[in-house]
Amino acid sequence: MKRFSNLLKKEIKELVTKQLIISLAFTILLFNFIGQVSKKEVQKAIGVQTISALDQDGSAGSQALLKGLESARFKILDQSGKTKDEALEAAKSGESKLLLVIPKGFGDSLTELKPSEIETYSFMRSFSLIGARGQVVVGGVISALNNVLSNNFLKDKLPEFDPQSLKNPIKSKDYVIVRDRMAEGSAGMVAGLISQQSLLIPVVLMMIVMYSSQMVISAVAMEKQNKTLETLLTVPIKRTSIITAKMLAAGLVGLISAAVYMFGFKGFVGGIGEEAARAGAQAGGAAVMRQLGLYFNTTGYVILGVSLFLAILVALALAMILGVLAEDFRSAQNMIMPLMFMVMIPYFISLFADINTVSLPIKIFILVIPFSHPFLVSQNLYLGNYGMIAGGLAYMLVVFVALTIFAARVFSSDKILTMKLRFGKKKSAVV
Amino acid sequence: MPNVLTVRGLKKSYGQKTALAGIDFDVRAGEVFALIGPNGAGKTTTLRIIATLLTATEGEIRFLDRDHRKEPDFVREKISYLPDEAGAYKDMKGTDYLRFMAAFYAQTPEQEKEFVDRAVAIAARRESGEPSELADRLGTKVGTYSKGMIRKLLLARALMTKPVLAILDEPTSGLDVINGLEVREIIRRYVKEGTSVLLSSHNMLEIEYLSDRVALIDKGRILDAGTPAELKAKHSAQNLEEVFRSTL
Repeated sequence: MKRFSNLLKKEIKELVTKQLIISLAFTILLFNFIGQVSKKEVQKAIGVQTISALDQDGSAGSQALLKGLESARFKILDQSGKTKDEALEAAKSGESKLLLVIPKGFGDSLTELKPSEIETYSFMRSFSLIGARGQVVVGGVISALNNVLSNNFLKDKLPEFDPQSLKNPIKSKDYVIVRDRMAEGSAGMVAGLISQQSLLIPVVLMMIVMYSSQMVISAVAMEKQNKTLETLLTVPIKRTSIITAKMLAAGLVGLISAAVYMFGFKGFVGGIGEEAARAGAQAGGAAVMRQLGLYFNTTGYVILGVSLFLAILVALALAMILGVLAEDFRSAQNMIMPLMFMVMIPYFISLFADINTVSLPIKIFILVIPFSHPFLVSQNLYLGNYGMIAGGLAYMLVVFVALTIFAARVFSSDKILTMKLRFGKKKSAVV
Repeated sequence: MPNVLTVRGLKKSYGQKTALAGIDFDVRAGEVFALIGPNGAGKTTTLRIIATLLTATEGEIRFLDRDHRKEPDFVREKISYLPDEAGAYKDMKGTDYLRFMAAFYAQTPEQEKEFVDRAVAIAARRESGEPSELADRLGTKVGTYSKGMIRKLLLARALMTKPVLAILDEPTSGLDVINGLEVREIIRRYVKEGTSVLLSSHNMLEIEYLSDRVALIDKGRILDAGTPAELKAKHSAQNLEEVFRSTL
């Protein structure tokens, strides 16, 4: 045990370098900085926005429209008395995101129940989605005004009918059923919320796999490059202990790095997410999810954690074998690529397809990749596919044990010194 | 003198390539046994097998009368191996490296200190007692050392536990004349204190100075073996270089 802890300490010290600490600190600062900047932008977008308005009509109808916009948190810069070109120029040079032109006759048309037109000129000073929000809100206000005006007309002409029933004779009441639970809501909303809830799983997995695997591959490759491996292999410590110490150190440092990155990432996403939530985007969603049982209880989180942990172990064992194949530090950098593809394939497929409905060969292909299973755990938990979850966990465990035994055999045999894979060169063995 | 190591019919192949075609030799307690031969003769392969890095394709090795293949952990406790062109961890300080290596062998903290002190003495002092160039560098990172300094640090590491058998592959490679001489003196001193040495070298002078017995090896076979004096007499040669030439 003393020998193992001696080696583990050395492995951790090698991994926790000044460069790593600086890079982690820098990442947190960077993510937080971007988060704060985004937060301010979102606050600007959902806060009071300045638009210019050129009311050429001056009627009660046009005033009602402008009042409606003011109540929707718009600051209106009145451009009355100017020509359209002058108003455009004034709005363009100011801070207005949009110029609203209410032409003459707008109010009369409304009174006569004829189609009324307004013009909007949006100044696209950037192409961010947040920047285009002004026009969306104006559209919402106009739609609300249209609704009120048409309701008033219908009430006036057909007082015995409900205007809403006349305008929408067919009403759709949407229900979503998941297993034996039902809730009122749309399938699109539920799918969107689930995808949001599961967003962090692939990001966490990819980060940890990337960091830990890179560390293990580099740790073995550096021992080879610095010619310290031969000495290490002749000291009185079991080869399995050498593998375990390297994997454990990389796993620990990888987990800490990923946690730090996730903390930074939270700062980045939090900047936008919190404000968006405050804007009421998710109103009612949480209740529907709870009603449908689409949330994780403690057992769910434990299962998800075990699944992620097993995936990390598989990645570390695989990285250990790839590290043996690497000749030096540079080739170790290339060795990480196949691993990254193995993580990215299930991620991208899960973005566009449903694993349960894809053709059998593709399904087998996805399920054979051990890293697919953590992606599937959340939806299988929601859908109660416990057999599938247990199978996935067992499969990852079997793959991990098989890879570790293989890695231990490689470390205990000549292969640790003779196995090599050179990119672009012929495979060769050392004598 | 009893044998520390007995090697019989040792063969090693890498696929179709034969590195060792069946060699026999013994290393006796308290002697320096040297393997000399051209590049690719099988010297390093032999040393690597004895050091438990490679497994033999055929043959028997007995170390302290125990089966070398079946008890690699026992062998690793008792030997130390200095590979040719070996390195040390660049981000470690010299003393930290010695402490790290000592911790694998020491049973108690006192023993660990004893090993480190011995290694520091080898690395930091010349045989004359004068401080060496490593004396005030052991507290700095290995990455800043010269090749010669690293070699001396590694030799100190190899001898600090007073191993039963020290396996030294080209122990003076990369060292200048003075440091080479120094290392040879250190090795001789440890042999006197009971360590047996199995070494390989290209340097015939070194072999002649250090070795009690020598084996000439080529194409995976031992061509001849004996004391330097016996070999010189047998081949009517002035020195081992001439012996070497006449056997090839």
